[in-house]
Parts: sequence; structure tokens; C-alpha cells
Amino acid sequence: MRLRSLESRIVVLFLLLILAVQLAGFAAIRIGINENARSSVRAELIIAERVFRRLLDQNAENLTTGARILALDYGFRQAIGTNDKETIASVLANHGARIGADLTMLVGSDRQIIAATAGNTGASLQGSIMQLVSAAERNGTGNGIRLVDKHPFQLVVVPVKAPLTIGWVAMAFPVGETLVKDMRELSSVQATIVTNTGADHWNVDASTYSAADAKKMTAQLHEIPRQEATLPTMTIAANEYSSRSIVLADDGDHIAIAVLQRSLSEAIAPYQRLQLMLLLLTAVGTVIAGLGSVITAKRITGPLRALTETAKRFGKGDYTGELEIKSNDEIGELSRAFGNMRDGISLRELEIRRLAYWDTLTDLPNRAQFVNQMTAAIQQAKRHSTPCHILMMDLDRFKTVNDVLGHNFGDSVLREVASRLKQQLAGSDNSVARLGGDEFAVLLPSSDLRTAQNVARQFLTSMERPISLEDQHIDLGAGIGIAGYPMHGSDAESLLSRAELAMYAAKKGSNGAVVYDPSIDRSSDQSLSLLSELRRAIDRKEFRLQVQPKIQLGTGRVIGLEALIRWIHPERGLIYPDEFIPFAEQTGFIRVITLWVMEESAAMCSAWMAHGVFLKMSLNLSARDLLDQELPAKAAEIMLRHRVTPASFCLEITESTIMEDPVRALHTLERLNTMGFELAIDDFGTGYSSLAYLKRLPVDELKIDKSFVMNMAFDADDAQIVRSTIDLGHNMGLRVVAEGIESEVVWNLLAAMGCDQGQGFFISRPMPAEQFSDWMNLWIAPNSRANAPASIDQHV
Amino acid sequence: MKTILSASFFSLAVTLCVAHTDALAASLHLNVTDVTGTPSIDTVVYAEAANGQALPKQLHSVQIEQKSRKFLPAVTVIQTGTAVSFPNHDSVRHQVYSFSAPKTFELKLYSGAGGDPIIFDKPGTVVVGCNIHDQMAAFIQVVDTPYFGKTDATGKVTIDNMLPGKYQLKFWHPAMPATMAVQVQPVAIPNSDMTLPILLTFKTEKK
Repeated sequence: MRLRSLESRIVVLFLLLILAVQLAGFAAIRIGINENARSSVRAELIIAERVFRRLLDQNAENLTTGARILALDYGFRQAIGTNDKETIASVLANHGARIGADLTMLVGSDRQIIAATAGNTGASLQGSIMQLVSAAERNGTGNGIRLVDKHPFQLVVVPVKAPLTIGWVAMAFPVGETLVKDMRELSSVQATIVTNTGADHWNVDASTYSAADAKKMTAQLHEIPRQEATLPTMTIAANEYSSRSIVLADDGDHIAIAVLQRSLSEAIAPYQRLQLMLLLLTAVGTVIAGLGSVITAKRITGPLRALTETAKRFGKGDYTGELEIKSNDEIGELSRAFGNMRDGISLRELEIRRLAYWDTLTDLPNRAQFVNQMTAAIQQAKRHSTPCHILMMDLDRFKTVNDVLGHNFGDSVLREVASRLKQQLAGSDNSVARLGGDEFAVLLPSSDLRTAQNVARQFLTSMERPISLEDQHIDLGAGIGIAGYPMHGSDAESLLSRAELAMYAAKKGSNGAVVYDPSIDRSSDQSLSLLSELRRAIDRKEFRLQVQPKIQLGTGRVIGLEALIRWIHPERGLIYPDEFIPFAEQTGFIRVITLWVMEESAAMCSAWMAHGVFLKMSLNLSARDLLDQELPAKAAEIMLRHRVTPASFCLEITESTIMEDPVRALHTLERLNTMGFELAIDDFGTGYSSLAYLKRLPVDELKIDKSFVMNMAFDADDAQIVRSTIDLGHNMGLRVVAEGIESEVVWNLLAAMGCDQGQGFFISRPMPAEQFSDWMNLWIAPNSRANAPASIDQHV
Repeated sequence: MKTILSASFFSLAVTLCVAHTDALAASLHLNVTDVTGTPSIDTVVYAEAANGQALPKQLHSVQIEQKSRKFLPAVTVIQTGTAVSFPNHDSVRHQVYSFSAPKTFELKLYSGAGGDPIIFDKPGTVVVGCNIHDQMAAFIQVVDTPYFGKTDATGKVTIDNMLPGKYQLKFWHPAMPATMAVQVQPVAIPNSDMTLPILLTFKTEKK
């Protein structure tokens, strides 16, 4: 039992209280007993004194009565009357013996001793008797205690009447044994009669003590009490005595006193038994109370301890087990409250766990749980020395779906995707989770890379099937990144981030599933520093404008230029747009680049215009540019500054660019069109845009994707596509431009098909803007190349 | 003091007269007061001849009855030789006795007449008591002269038929201390009545 515990505190408190009460009571009783005993002893002594005096009076009275009986005796009186001395003496002796008188004496009316039973009638005795005779003469009788030979005697004197007083009978009795014996019988006091015979010497006449004890007592009598007094407490034979003295006789020289003593120890003795009893009661009471408090404390703390154990179990998350306390008191109530609390907590914990570890939309595990599962799978793999893999999948164009068809639809798509993934994984110990947005992940515990790739392929196949919802058919592609333990990482987070990188790589390359490779990581590392380098490139004028001529196919005349960009990196040298434009698009930096290109193009256009040459400048807009609401204003400002008209520009956009955010893109395009800019659809034929949508766009030109053009000389299908596209464009009233013309054959074919304009390596590779003037001077259209240099390097 | 002086002078004159008038008889009137000046009751007064000559006896029988546990009268004066009877008029019995030297007697328990009268033949004071009733006491003053009397409630006493001559007047009272001598006062009785104031030297009133 710990000392600080509730139980021990209850017990200690109880015990202390009881002990305090008992001890206080005991002390009070003890003090009371002592006081009581002393005061009762004092009272007893006072009563004893009265009793003693009464005894003395009674004694005197008895003796007086005895003397009177003698005095009344007719014969005696006759003897006195006839002065018959012998008779008188014998009567005196006879009566004196009868009542135990030491001395019997007849005094005549003339105060002369007529007869006495003892010869020894000293002067002091005679004097005492005469005094008493005088008293008897006055009062009828006389009595008193007088010292005779240093011993106290009770003297009585009665008159003898016939019928006048004819004499006095005097009797003397020793004061002593009988008296103290009577005293002892009547009361519980010790009585001692002593006579002072010297300075500090006392003669014991009679005592209820043994002779030795009486001596001890007299040894403690230091002062001679000349009157009634309470003497100092004496100790005789290990007993404490309260004492009181009574003066019996005092003749000036000597004094006889009675010492009455009451033993305090005796008076306290019965109380001491009571005290002992009380002490015993205290001890028993304390033990009982102690046991009681221990039991009570246990009844309180036992359930508390059980509850504590239960609470500890709850703390560890163990909600099983019954609460066994069924009592109806506060403890029971607490126990029931505990039970309710447990139920509430466990329910809420389930809910919290669900919310924390489950994706409520798809009912798949969420990222947190996936990470846990991964961690477990990695540990298991570690133990069994087997690999394990994860797939991370991101849907293509999901944002578009969400924006166009609404979030509810988007949610439904996600649920459908989730169910397809689950379907794919049914029956295996692989698990799928939704990481957030349109990102899903699959854990393949103890699987090798090949299996992972197979699973990824299965997923991609399953995603190829369009999703049909609410009469809409959605084609969703997906990019999948694969990372595996222990090849790519040893913990969940690093595997996830590497799978993510692989996934981005897959999406960028549009090549389905990509296994993580450190090179991806490097490129991503590079791209981080790229942004700051791009910013610097503007300031340091590291960008160069490149142009590729656009030729009127019919005449071979230079109609315009497509403005392109090259980056001359101070360390890495020439960097092609492919390497930084996608990144610029991702980061939004593309807008800065677009404006730079527009600025340079406008300057070039203006310069040529000054020489009387009109060149239509084509430049590419990205999706980000179309979302920039300020683009039209910025463009107008550039045009104004270089004194060129928007009509000198043709802005090229790809189908996919528009589809990122068709509504806002359309809005921007319309504004640009209104300003006078011409618009062209770039890379036409690669996207999925519908003609109905295209029809609504305010475009002036179609640029057939170079993939069709490059092979048209050898591939009849491609040729047919080109032809159809040309016709389609013309039917829609659009100018048709072919890209990727790499041979004269193609040129001719296109010309024959009625294609309006063309560009490609056959005509010119993109060149630095400042070289254009030279190229212009050298340019001769093919159909007039007879005297031209034998062959232009077509494959540079 | 003035009273005493004038009384002494007067009594001297009376004594002178007695010597010359033998045949004549006179009455002596006495007003007795005790030392406190209070008239003295039951004071026995008797006159003895100054020269000690015997005086004639004039004996009468005397009764001291017991009534209501008292002797009546309590004080009696008689001439020597007088017989005194002690009739008991109480319903209880009495045992009358005396241990006095002039006459010791005892009348065994009795009621009624109580037998023969007791003859007191010696002068002196006889204290009579009852052995049954301690408080009962009677005093009989036995005198050797026919001239005696006892003061009444006013302290007056008259002694009649006194022959003129010189006398010793003696006064006795039960309240007198035992050791005290009888007060004596000489007086000369003339042949005519005379009145004398007597001042006792002791207290006669009951305490």
C-alpha cells in the first residue's frame, strides 16, 4: 500500500481522528479523575473530620451518660449523703470499671476530692477537673479532652444531686484505640492520634496504621498545627495521602492532635481500573476502526483501481472486457460512465480511423493508410528478402472533365476508376488506394518488377475502355509510375516520391508506364534550377529569335516567318525549345517567353516593313497564354510600340492547348481575333477536337501536322489524310499550311493538292533572325531552280 | 446605702425596748428585698433570742404535699420537733427522701398519705427530693425558735406574738449558695408592732 494512495490516506485519516478523539477523551477523563479524586478526597476528609468530631462528642456523651448513671444511683447518693467513704469508693470503682474509665472521682460540693479510683491525681488533672466542674456547674455537665501525663484523655464531669448538687462525679477515659478503630470502621480514612512531646517529637497514642507506618507519618509532621488544618500531602508506604489535622487538646506545652488521612492512591485506584478499561477500549476501538477504515477504503479504492486498470486498457486502445462493478453507488455510476465513455470513444475512434485512413469518396484507403500498408509490406519484404512494388497512377485530362462536366461528374468518374482498379485487383493481396485528386496508388507486396509492369499494363488497358456515365463517354488515359523496394528506396515516402516522378515522366512521354530511373530524378533536379536560369536568361539576353520561312507553294514566294526561340546557355550551349518550353509551360514562365518572342517578332516585322517587305509573323501560344486575360492588352501594346498591325501576326495554337480550358481559351481567342490577329490551328490532325468545336473557333489557318506530311510521299494513307485535310480546310474557308516539307516531291504533291503554304527543311531549317536577310537573297523557288546551286542540303 | 444606715440605727433603738417590755407581744413586719432590690419570695426568716435562751415550742403539724410532681410548698419552715407529713396527691407514686444531715429519711414509693409523718428534731436545712422525679425538691428549714415566717409573693412576712427583746434575725433562702453562712441581723422587738425593711446580701430570684 503506497503511502500517498487514497486508501492509505483514508485509513491514516480515520486512525488519526479516532486516536485523537480517544486520546483527548482519555486525557480529559484522566484529568477529571485526578481532579475528582483529589476534590473527593478533600471532601471526604472534611466529612471524616465531622465524623471524627461527632465520634468525640458521642464518646463524651456516652461517658457523660455513664457518669450520670452513677451520679443518679440512689445508693451512691445515699452513701455521699451519709458520707460513707468506703461505699463511695467501691461504687466509683465498680461504675468506672463498668464503662471503662481510667479514673473515676467524686468531688464534693466544696470542690474537694472526696474519693478517687486511682491514687495518681496530679495537679494538672485536678485543675482540669475543677475547670470542668465549674463548666458543669454552669451547664449541667462538663466534658473535654485534656492532656494527662502527655496523653489525651476524655474527661467528663456530672453533678450528683440529692436533689441539690451534693458533689461531682468526674471520669477520665483514654482517647485512642477505640476512637481510631471506630473511625476506620466508619470511614475509609486513616486516623492517628499523636501528642507532641518535644520540638519535633511526636508520641503516637493510637493509629490505624501499623506502628512503622505511624512513625513514618509522624516523621512528616514538621509543623505543629495549632488549629484544624489541611496538611501537606504525605507519602506513606508508597501511598499518597491527603491529610487533615484536628486539635484534641492543647495545654500550652504539649498538644494532642488527630491526623485524618485519606489515601489518594486508594481513591484513584477504582478509577485506574476504569482508565485501564478505557485504554483497552481505546485500543480495541482503534483496531476496529482501523479495520473498518481499511475495509471502507478498499471498498472505495478497489473499484477505483479496477477502473484505473480499465482506463489504462482504454488508453492502449483495448476496449474489450466487461466493467465488473455493478454497485448502485457513486462508484457504480462512475463505472457505468466509464462504460459509456468506452463505447463512445471506440465508436468515435472507428469513425476517426475511417476518416483518417479511408477515402470517403471512393471507399479506398487514403494516403496515410497506404503509407502504413507500404511500411508493413516493406518490413515483410525486408524479412523475407523479397522485393515489393508500388504503382502510382494519375488520370489524364481529369481536370478538363472536372471543369467541363462538373465536380459531381468528376467524383463519379473517380468512383468508376476506383471500382475498375478494385476489379483488377480482386483476388490478389495487392491493394489500391486513392492518394488524392486523381492520383491512385497500388501496393504490390512481394512482387517483382515484371509483375508490377504487368499489373500496370492491365491497368492501362482497363483505362482504355471509355467511361460511360450519364450518357457521356469519357476517354481517360493514365500515366503510371513504378517504384520498387529495395531497388528505388527503402521506405514508403521515398518510394512514393520516386513512383510519382516516374509517373510524371510517363505522362510527359505519354508512354503508359514508366519504371523509376535515377535519370528522371536528375532531370527533375535540373528542372529546379532551370526556372531561375530562365529568369536570368531574359536579363542576360541569352534567348535568340529563330525564324523558319513560310512559302506560298504556288509561287515559291516567302509569305511569312514562324518565329521560334533558341537558348544560348553560357555553359550548356544551344538548348532547343523541347528542353525548356514544357517546363516553362508548367511554371507559367511561358508567358514571359511568349511576350519576348512577340516583341522580337514585332521588331523584325517592323524592320522589314521599313524595307518595303511585308512578312506575316507566326508565333505559338501555349495554354497558359490563353488563360492570361491580360495577353490581348499586352499584345496590343507591343504592336503599337513597333508600329505594326495585329494583322501582321498569325497566332498558332494546338487543339490540346484549347482543350485545357475551352471556355476561357475561346474567350481569349475571340478577343485576339477582334483585335485583328490571325489565328491558326497548329499540329492539326493529332488531337481529338471535334470539328463542331473547331467550327466555332475564329481561326484563319490550319497547319497540318508534320507527321502526316513527312511520309505522304511514301504512304498513301497519309497522303489521303493530307488531301482530305486540305479540302476540309478550304471548305471551311481556311488557309491550309503544311509543315515538315522535306523534299521537292512532297512540295509538288502538296502544290498539286492545292495546299496554300508550306514550311520545312526542304525550304529552310529554322535560322537565326539575323541570317534571314542572307537566306532571302539566296532563296530560289524549286520550280525556278535551274540555275540555283545544285542541291540544298536537305538533311542538315 | 442610706436605707441601710437608717435601718441599722432604727433596729438599735428596737433592741433597747425589748428588754423592758416582757409581757407584751408584738408583731414584726418585714419587707425583704434581695441584693438587687427585688422583693424576695420564699425567704425563710426566723428570730432567735440574742442571748441564746430557749424559746417556747409552739408545734403544729405541717404538710408538704406532692401535686403536679412538685412539692407544695417548696419552702417550709418548722420548729424542731415538728412532724411533717408528705401526702401524695398525684396519680403517680413518689419516693420522697432526704440525705440532709439534720434529718435523713426515705419514704418508699407511695401514693396517698404516705405513712407516718416525719419528725424533724434537729435544726438545719433539710433538702427533700423524690428519687423518681429528679426535678422535685422541697426545702425544710428546721429552726429552734417559734418565731419564724416565710415571705409572700410581695416579699412581706409577719412574725406575730413576739415578746419584746433582743433577737437575732436570720434569713435563709434555697437560692443561697451551699457554702454561704445564714445572714444574721440583730433586732430588738419593742412592745408594739414594728416594720423593718430587710435587704438580703444575695440574690433570691430564680435564674
